Amino acid sequence: MTYYQQQFISIREKSFPKDYLCKQVIRGKEFIDSHFHNPIVLQDIAQEAYFSKFHFLRLFKLIYGKTPHQYLTEVRIEQAKQLLKTDITISEVCFAVGFDSVSSFKGLFKRYTNVTPSTYRRQYAYPQPITQSSLRFLPYFLSLKKSNFQDIQPRTNTDLCASSN
Amino acid sequence: MKIKLTSILVDDQAKALHFYTGVLGFVKKTEIPMGEHKWLTVVSSEEQNGVELVLEPMGFPPAKIYQKALYEAGIPLTAFHVDDVTKEYERLDKAGVVFSMKPTRMGGAMLAVFDDTCGNHIQIFQV
Repeated sequence: MTYYQQQFISIREKSFPKDYLCKQVIRGKEFIDSHFHNPIVLQDIAQEAYFSKFHFLRLFKLIYGKTPHQYLTEVRIEQAKQLLKTDITISEVCFAVGFDSVSSFKGLFKRYTNVTPSTYRRQYAYPQPITQSSLRFLPYFLSLKKSNFQDIQPRTNTDLCASSN
Repeated sequence: MKIKLTSILVDDQAKALHFYTGVLGFVKKTEIPMGEHKWLTVVSSEEQNGVELVLEPMGFPPAKIYQKALYEAGIPLTAFHVDDVTKEYERLDKAGVVFSMKPTRMGGAMLAVFDDTCGNHIQIFQV
């Protein structure tokens, strides 16, 4: 057994509940993954995992480092990002991912992504081509002999974007 | 400030390109010759405009000591996200990839560790 495996087992025993309890909590998490677009509440999720509300809340936070409600919001925001790449309106996106108020959706979206849904749609939904600025040398490259760099030719953005398979 | 690149040290860039594209399924993004080495990056086929992984040559000899020590301790150099660790394990195992840790649960996550044939252990995880 490697050093990593020994550490792994020791951390798992100290930090996490028994495997059968983890599996129950994962059931609750998977319930969120597949029902986020419905108006679900903690009671529904805990019930799916066969826990009382408070026991589930405590174990979920221990395992995932966030509350089920925070996780549900994250899932909805991630889904909203995908839908913002389509042509549907922002209020349609809001209701499609399970929020029931457009103004609270806009506020939460801004809090989680730092931009409003309309700004996100404009700036991020359509991928930008990579630019030369992403070509930065890393520490080990810098330690190569200077002569190794002499044959580098300036490249255009088009060259850099071309993915040769 | 944004994270656009991350890198892993590889003992042979050609072998690394074969493993990371041909076996794991990443896609080559940039290849620029630089003397005896290349500026070589790959991206996930699912996120071709996402973070680029630099397959970085072992240009600085002490880095070999670091890589060897991590490898001998079984410590992964980095980790990649997958949707289903068990499925990936089965796919890669069939392709001849050697796993030092089969799919194992850690709290809400599932993890596995394999050998990238270029001197590193790499972890895959699912949350």
